[in-house]
Amino acid sequence: MTAHTETSTGIDTRKLGMWAFLSSEALFFGALITNYLLFKGRDLQGIHPRELLNIPFTSVSSFVLLMSSLTMVLAHAALTRDNQRAARGWLLATAALGATFVGGQVYEFSNFYKEGMTLSTNPASSSFFVLTGFHGAHVTIGVLLLLSLVGLSFRRGGLTFEHGLNLELVGLYWHFVDIVWIVIFTVVYLIR
Amino acid sequence: MDSAKPAHPSPRQYVTIAGILVVLTALEVSLFYLNIGGINTPALIVLMLLKFTLVVAFYMHLRYESGFLRRLFAAGLAVASVLYFIVLATFYSRG
Repeated sequence: MTAHTETSTGIDTRKLGMWAFLSSEALFFGALITNYLLFKGRDLQGIHPRELLNIPFTSVSSFVLLMSSLTMVLAHAALTRDNQRAARGWLLATAALGATFVGGQVYEFSNFYKEGMTLSTNPASSSFFVLTGFHGAHVTIGVLLLLSLVGLSFRRGGLTFEHGLNLELVGLYWHFVDIVWIVIFTVVYLIR
Repeated sequence: MDSAKPAHPSPRQYVTIAGILVVLTALEVSLFYLNIGGINTPALIVLMLLKFTLVVAFYMHLRYESGFLRRLFAAGLAVASVLYFIVLATFYSRG
């Protein structure tokens, strides 16, 4: 897709569509966070997430995801300067940091299962796994989108802003995933 | 990109913002361990909102976008916050 259409607002249709999509995602994650807050501390059967959360480990994961937002904007800045090679490098770094975050989440989940906290242990554990699991799935989708961009970057002009799947839209999605984690990290992990 | 819009931050500014985000995260984690009583939760929420705003404004470039997009995002955020606050308040008030 190379068409570049603006709406009556003067905003690119794809960008407007992405922001509308992210707004719906905000409601989706808002519902999951509310669900976790409703069940946190209720129904005291079995192990609760609060007893198993590893704050040092998750702090490092948060740092990794924050740094991935930095590498994402550096990719955007490189492309603005028409440096597709540098943009590709930053995109690969972003994908690697995202994959590291997902790997950390898999490790965390497997530890919780070993300790006896599963999806069906109690409503708090269910809401915890659903919330953080959906976030992890979003990060995974983001990594796939980033790798698709890396693939496109090997074509001449493959990363221009005129292409349908462009770096700016994927960047918006990636930063959104980051801000969702900023909220989850505070609400689920840090607030007692 | 629309040349009439203000320029996006430079790579150096992006790195500075990342540094601020890391410092804010370190403060959050410190607060978790220090647990300074009643203001711990409000302080964590303020730090969270600061980080959220920095990413949305500078990394998502909302600060440099049209007023329409800014209002669209702010309105959606406000509606979602009010909606979920009412849901939580309703459930907590019923015990």
